[in-house]
Amino acid sequence: MTKKTWITILILGCFQLVAQNKDSLHVNFKINFDKFPLVLHKNYITSKKDSISISTFKCYISNLEIVYADKTVSKEKNSYHLLDINNPNSCHIPITKISDKIISKVSFAIGIDSLTSTSGAMAADLDPVNGMYWAWQSGYINMKIEGKSPSCHSRKNGFQFHIGGYMQPNYAMRKKVITVNGIGDITIAIDVAILLSEIDLKNTNSVMIPGKVAMDLADISTKMFYLE
Amino acid sequence: MKKTITFFAFGIFILLILAFSKSYNTPLYFEVPGAWPEPKYDFKKNPLTEEGFQLGRHLFYDPILSRDNTISCQSCHLQQTGFTHVDHQLSHGIEGKIGTRNAMVLINLAWNKNFMWDGGVNNIEMQAINPITSPFEMDETLENVVTKLQNSSKYRTLFSKAFGDEKVTSQRLLKALAQFTVMLKSSNSKYDKVMRKEAVYNEREQRGYDLFKVNCASCHKEPLFSNDKFENNGLAIDTTLNDFGRIKITNKKEDYLRFKVPTLRNVQYTFPYMHDGRFKTLTEVVKHYNSLGNDKSLPKELAKPMQLSDNDRVDLVLFLTTLTDKEFLFDKRFSFPKE
Repeated sequence: MTKKTWITILILGCFQLVAQNKDSLHVNFKINFDKFPLVLHKNYITSKKDSISISTFKCYISNLEIVYADKTVSKEKNSYHLLDINNPNSCHIPITKISDKIISKVSFAIGIDSLTSTSGAMAADLDPVNGMYWAWQSGYINMKIEGKSPSCHSRKNGFQFHIGGYMQPNYAMRKKVITVNGIGDITIAIDVAILLSEIDLKNTNSVMIPGKVAMDLADISTKMFYLE
Repeated sequence: MKKTITFFAFGIFILLILAFSKSYNTPLYFEVPGAWPEPKYDFKKNPLTEEGFQLGRHLFYDPILSRDNTISCQSCHLQQTGFTHVDHQLSHGIEGKIGTRNAMVLINLAWNKNFMWDGGVNNIEMQAINPITSPFEMDETLENVVTKLQNSSKYRTLFSKAFGDEKVTSQRLLKALAQFTVMLKSSNSKYDKVMRKEAVYNEREQRGYDLFKVNCASCHKEPLFSNDKFENNGLAIDTTLNDFGRIKITNKKEDYLRFKVPTLRNVQYTFPYMHDGRFKTLTEVVKHYNSLGNDKSLPKELAKPMQLSDNDRVDLVLFLTTLTDKEFLFDKRFSFPKE
């Protein structure tokens, strides 16, 4: 190989790196309240007539997959994403090269799988410093929603939903498949109003351990995700 | 000429790769004693190195892990007593605050699947998050620990030696601590020497061993002296603590009052005993088991009364002292690191 070839390869490599992000197909998540972008600390009324405000929304999405109409699949390696309303970048996930192929559906898990939950210390989005890991009982918090409502007769009217659990029968990870039938970036809404419309805040306002209530909330949480 | 340049460039490229490859690591070999089972820890995900072990050792002995820099792992896990908090029923941490359980020993952890008295922790790497963040122990956050270590030139050097660069992350911190704790292997007690035919038991020790095999070994299984499971051993509930054990983790009825079966290695020095440290001496422990029986709520292993005579009890305790491994308790590789 000549020197010229080496340099060409090097330059092309650099371009490739720069281009990757721009030419990627993104899966974007939008955190909503009743179809509009959720604003932290703003007062909302739920369909149950509870007056509420949200202070925290974090959620793990894992094993993101794009399935095309021609039955091919794009998978991500190490597909673990912590979506955090305070970090808008975390909600835009480049997943594969953009193409003209029709996407039939997108599938992912809400939360972290059992194997990963037992595999020791992790980094990046799975780093326990992110505040999404339980110390006294190992395991990730799949979804964390915190806020206030006068309907909660709790300390400072607060509510905390920390949904998680990796061990059967309280394995709280949920799979979700969303039909797309389109081309290009995919935007998925996560609507907090849907979860709160199914919770009786007076009686259920603090869930911080794996168990039956967490399992019920995990079931409801799958309804929060829809194509926008 | 062009060819020469290409080769030359290629040569430099290879040299650069070598320079940045993992030349900073001195691999450590974890030896499994002769007839022992395979360890449960997955060493592949955290290959042991001398540098990683030494970093873990420094961290273990450093109060920098606590909020006010007063409490280190050693505060409750002292080497000379099998890495437990000797003479304290319940361990105390920051500002003298008292927890709800007796500190566990740190012995042969590579063979443990779950950690803590209730098995709530599923991997030794994640165990350290508990004492660091517990308000009764170190009361610190992982983020702060990472920041404090990153600001320390000593630790930047140690992390660099262990991991190739100075970056401190919680993952590296936890993996290094695990490298130290997983190496705490005790396999040179008189019992081990007898098994290897390097020593012999006297008559009373042998009697004690025979009694042990009949009455204790089904849960305190040789050679680790634990079956790594959770059992109800018939202790009455301490109503000042109301600690119901593993049920809190699993929500399963059968786990009510079940606690981890601890290893008995070095048990002579790990007093007080039980999850709440209620017994000061081995004699009290043996008396407790000897008092059980004919109780349907107990596991089948304890259902039949032991009916040990006074002499039996003395011999059994004598056997238990043959599980003391002085080489382990005074091994300089595990002691406070002197610079």
